[in-house]
Amino acid sequence: MKRRTFMQKLAFLAGVAGFSALPFGLARLLAPEVKADPHRRVPLPGALPDPDAFRGACIGCGLCGEICPVKAVKFHRNDGAGGVNTPYINPEDRACILCGLCMEVCPTEALTVTPIREVDMGTAQIDRVACYPWVDAGVCGACVGICPLGSSAIDFEFGNFYRPVVQDGCVGCGLCVEVCPEPSLPIRIVDRSQGTVAHHGIGVRRKIELR
Amino acid sequence: MRRTWQRHINKLRWVSLSIVFLMLILLPFLHLYQTYEAAHAYDLLAPDEKAIYDAMESLTAPFVSDPVTDLNALKGTTWSGTLFGLKLSDPLAVVGQSAAGLTIYWPFLLTALIPIAVTLVLGRVYCGWICPATLIYELHDNLAAWLRKAGLPVSRRKLDRRLKYLVLVAGTIIAAISGTMVFAAVYPPAIIGREIYYAIAVGGFGAGIVFFILTLAFDLMVTRRGFCRYVCPGGALYSLLGRFRLLRIQREVGQCNDCAKCNVVCQFGLDPLRDGFGQECNNCTACIAVCPTDALGFRIAVKDQPFQGPGHLGHEYRRQQENSQRSGHRDPGEAA
Repeated sequence: MKRRTFMQKLAFLAGVAGFSALPFGLARLLAPEVKADPHRRVPLPGALPDPDAFRGACIGCGLCGEICPVKAVKFHRNDGAGGVNTPYINPEDRACILCGLCMEVCPTEALTVTPIREVDMGTAQIDRVACYPWVDAGVCGACVGICPLGSSAIDFEFGNFYRPVVQDGCVGCGLCVEVCPEPSLPIRIVDRSQGTVAHHGIGVRRKIELR
Repeated sequence: MRRTWQRHINKLRWVSLSIVFLMLILLPFLHLYQTYEAAHAYDLLAPDEKAIYDAMESLTAPFVSDPVTDLNALKGTTWSGTLFGLKLSDPLAVVGQSAAGLTIYWPFLLTALIPIAVTLVLGRVYCGWICPATLIYELHDNLAAWLRKAGLPVSRRKLDRRLKYLVLVAGTIIAAISGTMVFAAVYPPAIIGREIYYAIAVGGFGAGIVFFILTLAFDLMVTRRGFCRYVCPGGALYSLLGRFRLLRIQREVGQCNDCAKCNVVCQFGLDPLRDGFGQECNNCTACIAVCPTDALGFRIAVKDQPFQGPGHLGHEYRRQQENSQRSGHRDPGEAA
């Protein structure tokens, strides 16, 4: 084949590819920018701490979702969060039970085998104006009862056996979020830098974003 | 030497393709069964979930004692998976991940070692014998043949084969720059494995299915098996690895009668009639199965034969012989 005709065909193909990609591009440009709520998107146990490094290491094979015994692992669709087909956990829906199977099955370095007490998925944060043992003399303790790591992760406040306090040992598995009976979910998984107690200052308001 | 048994290898290949595809459908159901089993909540299941549970329990009961852990021996897709404790990954996944992360992760590299070794010996055998997309593409090509017979203009234009190597290189560079696995989004077997899992276990197809349907349209409207031949980055990688493969299909010129059925049946547009196999051949054995005189068969060789001339059972060869006899030349065997 002559170079000229080859280049022409290449240009034709590029044109076809570009034209067929047009709907995707338009949909991408016209779609409203939905920021994935970081409180609902928790990384998997043993995941690389840097999200970009995790995205580079994950090959999107879906093995973690396939082996998860409680089907807690979900996958990013084309939802504006980037990293299509990479896994995440939404503890409000179904929380990680720290069984460690996903870390074992992951073929790449995206999830590395970590002892469960050294897993860093974030930390639980309690909103003390919504959790009813804290608001009033409510009787609960569901989060403390379910915690797989015991009193090193979440414990009752000294002198009141129903008010939960998150400790340093929390790894952010999210079982407490799944089990919390309060509809407004006063407990949630956040990044460690945000602390274990939700702050309410003037002008600070809990953002409720679309999923 | 007549190799009549080799024409049945193609049936074996269809069995292999079907088994892989059925496994991809079965594994999500097994995973659902594992989940229900782990939850100890049979009474809370919906009727259709109970049906899945019962079916999978009756299917696996003879083989496993503890489904929750035993069924983990079989997980994943052809993109990356576990086969009875053996972790296997696609070499393209290793290339893409190494480029995206700009690191080489040795344990992951080891999982691709067996596929690479097999490809070095058997050539592009993954494309013909294992790839779940191949099953759909070949059935789709049969559909295209029917449509063509019915008079619809099914296009079969020729493009440049080097295009897929361009896709491989460009994909690697894009992965290295953007840090994402672009191959996972455009590689049909990865898409198929994932989408089947999504459809059965997660509930609904993802975006990949749109891309896959576009590739089917490309095959139908631009060129025969076009995606595998001209675009697929995995096909490019396997072609490069299988360039000096040991097992090759070769033509025995003494048996050939120039019927050209092999050229018609070859979906990759190769030229078995004139010994033109090359690195694109995926040893799919369709040409062996169709050959009426068993002239084609497997040989152990590092290189293809050059064009051996017209087949000895054909008209062209006889005409040449008559011409040479008329002009006075004789065969050395005849002279003795």
